[in-house]
Amino acid sequence: MTSSDVRDVLNLPDGAAGGPRPSKKAKITAPRPNLKGLAREVHNLGGDNPIAIVPEVTQFKKRRFVSRKPAARWELRQFANSGRKDESLVLRHWRRVEEGKQSSSAEGDGNVPETEDVEDSLYAKYNVQVSVPQYNEDQYHQVLENPDWTKEETDYLMELVRDFDIRWPLIWDRYEWSPPATNGEADADGDESKAIVPATRSRSMEDLKARYYEVASRMMAVQKPVQYMTQPEFALHELMAHFNPQQEKLRKDFALNSFGRSREEAREEESLLLEIKRILARSDRFNEERRELYNRLDYPHAEQDINTFKSSAGLQTLLQNLMTADKSKKRKSIMGAEVPTPSGQPTPQQAAPENGRRDSAAASSGPRESGASTAASSAHKKSQSQSQQQIQQQQAQQQQQQQQSQQQQLQERKKLTEHEEIIYGVTHHDRLGSGPTFRTEKINKLFSHKSNQQQLRITNTLNELDVPAKLAMPTAATTHAFEQLLASVNSLLDARKITDKIDAEIKLELAKKAEREKALGNQDAEKSADAEDDDEDAKDESAEADEPSKDNDEDGAAAQPEDDEKEQDEDAAPSDEATAQPSVEQDDDNADEGKDGGVTTRKRSASVLSAVSDKSLKRQKK
Amino acid sequence: MAQQPLPTSAQPTDIYGGDEVSALVLDPGYCNTRAGFAGEDVPKSILPSFYGHITSDPPRDLFGDECIIPRGDFEVRNYMNKDSVVEDWDVAAKMWEFMLVKRLQPERQTPPSKNGLNDDVKDQDGEGDVAMEEIEGQEKPLEEFPLLMTEAPWNSPKAREKAIELSMESWGTPAFWLSRTPVLSAFAAGKATALVIDIGGANTSVTAIHDGMVLKRSIQRSPAGGLWLSSQIRNMWVTSEPKVDLIPTFMVENKTPVDALAPAQARLREFPYKIHDSFRAFEEERLLTEFKESVVEVWRGPGRYGAAGNEEYIKSQPGRVFEMPDGYNQMWREQRFKVAEGMWDENAGYPVPEAERLTKAQTIPELIRSALNAIDVDLRGNLLANVVVTGSTSLINGFNDRLNNELTAMYPGLKIKIHAAGLSSERRFGAWIGGSILASLGTFHQMWISKKEYEENGPGIVEKRCK
Repeated sequence: MTSSDVRDVLNLPDGAAGGPRPSKKAKITAPRPNLKGLAREVHNLGGDNPIAIVPEVTQFKKRRFVSRKPAARWELRQFANSGRKDESLVLRHWRRVEEGKQSSSAEGDGNVPETEDVEDSLYAKYNVQVSVPQYNEDQYHQVLENPDWTKEETDYLMELVRDFDIRWPLIWDRYEWSPPATNGEADADGDESKAIVPATRSRSMEDLKARYYEVASRMMAVQKPVQYMTQPEFALHELMAHFNPQQEKLRKDFALNSFGRSREEAREEESLLLEIKRILARSDRFNEERRELYNRLDYPHAEQDINTFKSSAGLQTLLQNLMTADKSKKRKSIMGAEVPTPSGQPTPQQAAPENGRRDSAAASSGPRESGASTAASSAHKKSQSQSQQQIQQQQAQQQQQQQQSQQQQLQERKKLTEHEEIIYGVTHHDRLGSGPTFRTEKINKLFSHKSNQQQLRITNTLNELDVPAKLAMPTAATTHAFEQLLASVNSLLDARKITDKIDAEIKLELAKKAEREKALGNQDAEKSADAEDDDEDAKDESAEADEPSKDNDEDGAAAQPEDDEKEQDEDAAPSDEATAQPSVEQDDDNADEGKDGGVTTRKRSASVLSAVSDKSLKRQKK
Repeated sequence: MAQQPLPTSAQPTDIYGGDEVSALVLDPGYCNTRAGFAGEDVPKSILPSFYGHITSDPPRDLFGDECIIPRGDFEVRNYMNKDSVVEDWDVAAKMWEFMLVKRLQPERQTPPSKNGLNDDVKDQDGEGDVAMEEIEGQEKPLEEFPLLMTEAPWNSPKAREKAIELSMESWGTPAFWLSRTPVLSAFAAGKATALVIDIGGANTSVTAIHDGMVLKRSIQRSPAGGLWLSSQIRNMWVTSEPKVDLIPTFMVENKTPVDALAPAQARLREFPYKIHDSFRAFEEERLLTEFKESVVEVWRGPGRYGAAGNEEYIKSQPGRVFEMPDGYNQMWREQRFKVAEGMWDENAGYPVPEAERLTKAQTIPELIRSALNAIDVDLRGNLLANVVVTGSTSLINGFNDRLNNELTAMYPGLKIKIHAAGLSSERRFGAWIGGSILASLGTFHQMWISKKEYEENGPGIVEKRCK
């Protein structure tokens, strides 16, 4: 019986598609899942769609409770607490039934177990009592008498202390001692009335503490003399015997004050505390640094004899040793370093090796820099020539790039091009003075070597040139220019001195000549006229020589001409050799001036020179 | 919460402090009385301390919320007075027994002598009754349950003795303990040392607790609690424009919705008997409580509500709408803040009769200040770092923020930490929960006053032991 038979019976249309049914044989050829335990007929009922059969699971779901033990039994068990004063209180709590007792309690549901086997509570041990000093009447009268305290009140205090386990805030809080109304015979005070109720006095916590500690320490000493006490006992005794209520009171007052602080005060205190913390931290750090410094200053002492290194040969060997040691290291710090060229100017090859970044930076700033430098000091031939050199170098760099790149690897230390050296202000010197110096110092030196008069003259000249005697910004370039300026000023002054000298000599010679003529027998009248002329001439000359200074400040230099004259006279007399070639010197100076100095300086000096040349013209006229 | 066992990682390794002895905890207050089993996290039975009293013959007392319904010859009374101290001990005994026995214990089988099955007409004589009464007398309702009761810290010694007497004599509890509410509130917050600020129904109290004990000198109390707040709201409603009629829910038969501020359109219920004022007041209080819960808010600060600009600011804020049972509704803006401000500032709030007005010393900040001033200076800092806030009225919105602001303004240099339970049930039943914790502790077994001790020393023992 197949599915088609079933369909026939039920008059159902054939199949889902209604197409030609595949032959039975084809179906049969298809391997069918062979399910066990199922009759073939039943299986065929499914036809094309095999009956979905869930495979049989051999195991059931796992048991939830693996253990088959019976549930734990609990019983309401009675217990007592030995920590109680009244131990008879029996309470009940749920406890697990122990194995042995199981049978006995299993049946008894409402049965109350016998009181014999009542267990003790686990918590009984937590009931601890403080020990409060005990004393009897005699002991009290012997050692504990205190004018402030009656025995009753002391007893009351002790009772409170015991009740509240020496928790002072509570003791003080609950302390309400009202002395019993006394009648006369019991009290020593008097017996006039039957019931005197003494005014209750409020005791401060410190009073209570002081009394308690007093009692406790004395009783300690009574029970065990001080000399037999153990260390901790003695410490406790000392502590209690020296309780200072005043100090405690002060402390509380202080605490009260700080309790009532306002917000500002609190904040201020906080900030002060912070400050202190910071100061402490800083001083700590400072101490640390100082200690480190001391450690560092504490140089290691040589262990070997240093005498071998005292001779030059010994030093040589030491150097050799160090060199070899250095070589063996990977970094070539001594050997690899370039020996600086004696000229102080690196050769193009040395300067060229640069990394690309530095190069490009120099190239970009190059033109601007050179322009600025020419504007600032056009008289700087050197700088100009340097900048020219730089341009050449840059060109050379581009040409030699490949070679340099090979060298780059060899040379570890970077070399600056000349241009960059100017940018970074690097200069090279054959010899350096010891220690650092200021550039202004260098200029001051030029002044200070001169005599006062010369200094005055130089400043006058500088004033005339509108150049301040002190440089406002002594950069390397300006200092250099200023030095050159001063040199030329000096030479100018020298030149003037010499001209003055020569003038004086000429005058002298003229006088001689006149005398000679007089001796030759000229008339008296002519002689006298000549002499007057000469005098006038001399005066003119001196006046002319002082012209520059007068130009500078016309009214201030009244006294100067005479000084000048004197000096010139003094100078002129001894230096005969100097007079030999004055004109040559003058020419040189002039040439120098023409070369050196900035544009403005040159202009000024030109005017000075023109004045000088005017003088010479006059002279020639005469 | 408390019933779930702790995960093993959180369990204490040394010793678990709990050791339950199926103790009962009873926490009476002016508004509610709470009873339940120690070790649980909320009381099982919470009833209003108000009870119904039927004046007609024979007079009867009815306990429980469900009994307080409109009916004739019926008035609502309270066995506590507004100091949260028991006033009517006869009713208190009945009420507590009702709660502890009827509400917490399973129904007991009626003794065979009483259940009517054994009734024999012939046997019915006086002697038999006496004998049965004797048997009954031996079987007291709470013989297996130690009882822990709470009391206000200013409870009188006489009332305390009465409590232990009641417990021991009429209920036969094997052990008894009386503890003060602030101590228990502190325990509920997990603290043995705390400054407890309890804003309850009838009272507000500030108490310093040191090591599980009340510092008596620090106890401060004032009426600035829930009832006082209710009186403020009443005043606000009376003085507001238009006047708001306070019609409790039970009086409204039906209502139609109306616009805000429009007069209510409701038909009121007619009763064929006279409704006693006390019942109406009780129902009004329900309505006021709802208003407090949903509308009233405490100005959080900074500064007081009366400070310049605050009121204008609040007026610009969205208000809250409250619909009365009769359908009247209104948006409440600054008024809802002003109502609660009187707790903090004696000059603010709504004008009330002279008798009800709070003095400066009765405002909450002043209560705290005087409580702290009454204790040793060494404790103050620690207490301010352990402020416990409890009581239902402290659940008003913004209360804790305001308290924190006030405290920091008062004690600027000190660390102030307020501990207020987040769960409203923990705030409402703080003292009960503390009692539940205390009574289920193993170390507490040594504290109970046993029946034997009571018998030996008499009721005076409670003064000696429960300090």
